Amino acid sequence: MNRREQVLSRLREVPAMPAAAMEAIRVLQDPDADARSIMQALQHDPGLTANVLRLANSAYFGSPRKVSTIQEAAVRLGTKRILRVVVTSAAAPVVRRAVKGYDLSAGELWEHSASVAVGTDALAEALKMRLPAAAFTAGLLHDVGKILLGTHVEVEASEIVALAVREKIGFDEAERRLLGIDHAEAGAAVLESWELPDEVVLAARWHHRPEEVGSTSATLDLVHAADALSMAEGLGAGRDGLQYRPSKAVVERLGLSTKIEELVLCRVLVALKELKEMFGGNEK
Amino acid sequence: MSPLGATSAQCTVGISEMLVRSGGEEVLVTYSLGSCVGLAVYDPAIRAGGLIHCMLPLSKIDPAKAAASPAMFVDTGVPALLQALFDLGAQKKRLVAKVAGASSLLDEKGLFKIGERNYTVLRKLLWKNDILIAAEEVGGTAARTMYLHMATGRTVIRSQGQEREL
Repeated sequence: MNRREQVLSRLREVPAMPAAAMEAIRVLQDPDADARSIMQALQHDPGLTANVLRLANSAYFGSPRKVSTIQEAAVRLGTKRILRVVVTSAAAPVVRRAVKGYDLSAGELWEHSASVAVGTDALAEALKMRLPAAAFTAGLLHDVGKILLGTHVEVEASEIVALAVREKIGFDEAERRLLGIDHAEAGAAVLESWELPDEVVLAARWHHRPEEVGSTSATLDLVHAADALSMAEGLGAGRDGLQYRPSKAVVERLGLSTKIEELVLCRVLVALKELKEMFGGNEK
Repeated sequence: MSPLGATSAQCTVGISEMLVRSGGEEVLVTYSLGSCVGLAVYDPAIRAGGLIHCMLPLSKIDPAKAAASPAMFVDTGVPALLQALFDLGAQKKRLVAKVAGASSLLDEKGLFKIGERNYTVLRKLLWKNDILIAAEEVGGTAARTMYLHMATGRTVIRSQGQEREL
């Protein structure tokens, strides 16, 4: 078995999000989903329901009035924001753990993932575009492949970094050369096995190579740009650091300027601080 | 984590935060310096020093945010840090300033220039204040952690799993 097959054979070892959350994510891709279908998705998971309510009342998601039932939360926050709440609750335990091979201590991958999720939101707002339903979810889960590679296959990022720096190539390209697969493709395979929506899988799959997809996807563009900003900022940066090449095509498609980049970073930092109060951040 | 054998208590300076201390054995530390700039300033005569982690170059992007947390921006944070040190009795001519951060992505096309802008504004500001940069580790694609030992003024950079004195 080569390295690539070895990676793909261990997909199932990455602890999945709760089934109820994945069902809710699927239900909530439909913008017309109502409170009842959300409740049906969550009803068998009281722990998740409690977390969703806690988060719905947090500063970041900020319901103007305290909500105490999912139905109330759905009405007050609307489908899109409820989806963000559900996925934030459900993804936290998955991405919070330390990822040894990538030199990420507990909380760091969460910090990076959350900053990309809120970054898609802040970018869409600054660019006056509609945030696609899948963007926030894709932002939170785009780096799940690092968990598979760094924890379950015990890949050591330091030799990958050495190759990337020597050859002036992206860390993901160095992964492909050494392993036959990069964390983006590995992550997409994990998310596909969880049966998450295609748009989420596609954004994870191509988040470092958005120019290589035949079609364009607003979700992918936003995840790529938010990821670039978060990495540039060093938010939850691991051994791979900033060793990635941003896409000019995405920057131009979105119409990003220095001013917008800085404005978005400002907002991301504030949002991240609010979310951190609930989930904790670095535990160095 | 105890850099270069330090055993003292650590105090974390978050992104867009600063800390000043007078005397003591603490180690000030700031994590995750990517395109952000970290500035450690120390007056050895009175063992007063401070560490700041600025995220963005210029406060005009969000003046309200700058008023609430000046350390977010280089142009408001660095003067605030210097003033706080002067208030502790530090003297400009004795200050030892060390800089780390201002990394960037593999960005030959200059799409995300935040690191470069942060560094330019910081240099200009220190120059205007007649403060020389005694040592620096800036640029590249690595994220860095910066430590300032209050007892000695020693500044240590940790990056890519390795530590070195700055």
